[in-house]
Amino acid sequence: MVRAAIDVIEKTAHAVERRFTSKLHDERTAALLGMGLGITFTICFVTGLWSHLVQTPPSWFSRPPRPAGLYRVTQGLHIATGIAMIPILLAKLWVVYPKLFAWPPFKSAAVAVERLALLPLIGGGLFLAFSGLANVNLWYPWPFGFKEAHYWAAWITIGALIVHVGAKWTVTRSHVARRVPPDAGSGDRRAFLGTVAAAVSVVTVATVGQTVGPLRKLALLAPRRPDVGPQGFPVNRTARAARVTVEDGGATYRLTVTGRVARELSFSRAELTGMDLHQARLPIACVQGWSASANWRGVRVRDLLAMAGAAEGASVRIVSLQESGAFRSSVLQPDETRDGDTLLALEVNGEPLHIDHGYPLRLIGPNRPGVLQTKWVTGLVVE
Amino acid sequence: MNSDHGARFRIALVIGGAVMAYGIWGVLDDARATHPGSLFVYVVGADLVHDLVIAPVVCIVGWLLTRVVPEPWRSPARAAVLISAIAVVVGWPSLRGYGRARVPDNASVQPLDYSTALGTVLAVVWLGTAVWATVRVTRRRSNEDAGNA
Repeated sequence: MVRAAIDVIEKTAHAVERRFTSKLHDERTAALLGMGLGITFTICFVTGLWSHLVQTPPSWFSRPPRPAGLYRVTQGLHIATGIAMIPILLAKLWVVYPKLFAWPPFKSAAVAVERLALLPLIGGGLFLAFSGLANVNLWYPWPFGFKEAHYWAAWITIGALIVHVGAKWTVTRSHVARRVPPDAGSGDRRAFLGTVAAAVSVVTVATVGQTVGPLRKLALLAPRRPDVGPQGFPVNRTARAARVTVEDGGATYRLTVTGRVARELSFSRAELTGMDLHQARLPIACVQGWSASANWRGVRVRDLLAMAGAAEGASVRIVSLQESGAFRSSVLQPDETRDGDTLLALEVNGEPLHIDHGYPLRLIGPNRPGVLQTKWVTGLVVE
Repeated sequence: MNSDHGARFRIALVIGGAVMAYGIWGVLDDARATHPGSLFVYVVGADLVHDLVIAPVVCIVGWLLTRVVPEPWRSPARAAVLISAIAVVVGWPSLRGYGRARVPDNASVQPLDYSTALGTVLAVVWLGTAVWATVRVTRRRSNEDAGNA
């Protein structure tokens, strides 16, 4: 019974394998695309790890406030590289697809282990690309938390990639360094790789304008335009979604400075407006890959802390009027509170903040991920 | 398979295996957020969907193209179809307006008319590949003429 079944599988596998007649299912094409994937995946992994580090800093890590646009660059790169990887990944999988039907499936334990590692490598790679693309589109067709699933799947996938690179290093190098002479099929290969490169270019040009301002008009497939939204730039969470209203910023509104301070402070919005205001041009850089620069005007956090008599270089928790949600508060680390451009902004681009941008008061600091630029600020708690 | 199973592979296996183990530990440790069961279904499901649906469809489309389109038009035709498919994949969530449906009051999410936007991208792709095809065909003809002379 079992033997008969295996015979059928073997015959089918051989029959399917013989159908792949294209010369492009070859080692050289696989090696060159594999190089591309190795590079793009590494960029995504490193920038993703960086994003995770700045969003949830462990005790040993201090988020650097300078350069102010660093997160905008690293996260823009993460998303752009992830999108560029999609055609390379699919092309590579098509090139090596016939190997799925190789019979016998493995000739040694080492081959079995190598092939087993392809399961998390391919499944993980496809999952990371799909979940990342869905997340930048605010689409969540799954029950788990995106951030955690994407993060841990990346570790599993890069582990599988290390195993795969270990097995393929020699053959890939020999092709990339052209120690193996290109064969007769190289014309077809050039056209195919050129097509993959063109696909990478098309999806990049059609999306990267969500963070590279001058290309914004070309961002036809991007879910965001850096110049579209209230006051000319996008919003992640609206006031309505956060259950904050204009009345919350009215007569009853107070900004309090409490915690480890010499004297607790409390201000109305009018009192804040009458203070010494500072202007800074800083980007909002969202984890989802869009970014936009704006001119912010407001009170320096360090001035408020000095007025309250807080210790120099304290950490401060910024609390929002928003009653729930993971980002209703955020922490300013010492280097950030010292920075003169870390503001509680009252205005953007010369106008009072739109409620969706955090009216009556929002935090804006250099080199902070967008979700940590807390909106609708009502309290500073010195830690 | 032309793989290297020497010392390099064994070292990579130890390091890669440890990194994978760390990832699996992370998934299990943060189970409330990661839902390990359904994450497993999505990752293995991605393998299966690719191997059983995407790849066969791509192979059949490629086979049809080689049957229907003669050289020297074949490579440009293949390019036009492949790039279009990738553009549709990347534009799909916007085209379907998934994000906007989730946050209907946020007009800055997926703000464009994406059928027009995607149509424009596809038009550019087909125009570009048409130019390439024309250049290819013209070049072949002039080569043939040169050969006949």
